[in-house]
Amino acid sequence: MGLLSILRKLKSTPDQEVRILLLGLDNGGKTTLLKQLASEDITHITPTQGFNIKSVQSQGFKLNVWDIGGQRKIRPYWRNYFENTDVLIYVIDSADRKRFEETGQELAELLDEEKLSGVPVLVFANKQDLLTAAPASEIAEGLNLHTIRDRVWQIQSCSALTGEGVQDGMNWVCKSVNAKRK
Amino acid sequence: MCSSRDSVDRLHELCAVYYEKRHTNCPSCRMLGYIWQCFYSSCLRFWLKWFLRLVTGRCELQRICARCKAGALRTSQIEYSLKSSKSKVLQTALSVKQNELEDRLAQIIQEKRIKEQKDPTFKVNLRQCLLQINGYNELFEEVEELRKKVFDSENEQHENMLLKLWDLLMPSVKLESRITKQWGNIGFQGDDPKTDFRGMGMLGLTNLLFFSEKHTDAARQVLSHANHPTLGYSYAIVGINLTEMAYSLMKSDALKLHFYNSVSGKAEMQHFHQFYCYLAYEFDKFWLQEEPESIMEFNRYREKFHDKVKGHLQEPEVTLTLTPNPEN
Repeated sequence: MGLLSILRKLKSTPDQEVRILLLGLDNGGKTTLLKQLASEDITHITPTQGFNIKSVQSQGFKLNVWDIGGQRKIRPYWRNYFENTDVLIYVIDSADRKRFEETGQELAELLDEEKLSGVPVLVFANKQDLLTAAPASEIAEGLNLHTIRDRVWQIQSCSALTGEGVQDGMNWVCKSVNAKRK
Repeated sequence: MCSSRDSVDRLHELCAVYYEKRHTNCPSCRMLGYIWQCFYSSCLRFWLKWFLRLVTGRCELQRICARCKAGALRTSQIEYSLKSSKSKVLQTALSVKQNELEDRLAQIIQEKRIKEQKDPTFKVNLRQCLLQINGYNELFEEVEELRKKVFDSENEQHENMLLKLWDLLMPSVKLESRITKQWGNIGFQGDDPKTDFRGMGMLGLTNLLFFSEKHTDAARQVLSHANHPTLGYSYAIVGINLTEMAYSLMKSDALKLHFYNSVSGKAEMQHFHQFYCYLAYEFDKFWLQEEPESIMEFNRYREKFHDKVKGHLQEPEVTLTLTPNPEN
């Protein structure tokens, strides 16, 4: 047995794994958010065909974040990723008012899914760096978030581009996982 | 005498090759390689060069030009030799503008005390190498600039390019309006393609258009595969992802050998587009052969394809060009 493996054993208990599902319409900013979480370069992002996955360490958790493409054609595949989800993060382009109705419908369908019942949901009102972005309060109202009774939820305004608000959202994620696992 | 000179030269070449391509898999090889590298570059290389200069009467640049045939082999060894040179004149020859090239060539010949009458082809060969080396860097700057240019709906030229892409790919179907679900038929995500260019900007659109314009039949054939009910994928989106692949390969210098072999002077924008066409055509073939379960597997196969292309790009004789074979 080498010194390294002894040291490895001495290290505190392995991080608890958390499965996070990142969903939302195409061009919402899911991949940018994912890369921002992993502290990666966000200047070369391309539309997601299929999905991306990354693991990020945060507050003693190992967050396995699944970023699934948002294009209409692949939304039917979303359900293949529902199983064992700890937290759902739903990303909205706050500046794309024309698609608020479409994004609201998709979210409502997700909240009706049996496999996602009781799963905490965080809505990121993204792209707040744009002047035309709607404030989080307006989006919450439009989506009727206050009518959600069967789970904890939170709306957080953010800019995945600048990173503003992202950490606050992730703190809520960790808090709600902690509360659920106690 | 001649044969011993040759074999010393070979040894030197081997050292350089070993330096460039050491085994990176096993840790002890890596360690040995590292030690060897330090030893080679800090003292062995210098004395070998000194000795060879004495015996052959020619400097390293001349020996490379005489020994290697034109292409990646010669140009990359010249590049390595210039990069490791202690002389400022030689080192900075890796970033000279085209209009300063002649002066620089004369400076190098003077610095290395080369007698042009004795080696008349040397200048021609070195010029070609410098054109290729500097051309690569200049081309990357152009590519980067085009990538940073955001698709702008207010810009008539951008709009026309987008509409032309549709007409080339869908000659028998008219676009009903600028914002329409029809864009999905050539593999854009939503009703308006403008958001899909994202990080690749106008480079993505220019690539897509170039493929459809210069290889119209091949592009339509790829599109028809992409629209297959079970094995299909989103043509334009995958195209933009392949633009990203071409861009990253170029950025990491992985396209050097390919360009040095396939373009004898300065590489131009069209050569980058041609490489994209190769990727678009070959990826489609690869995807069909692999028969993935669904489009959700894209990134896994993208990686696999990327590794395959990267493998080809490391072969010294590599040239990757689109060679369409008519569909059966």
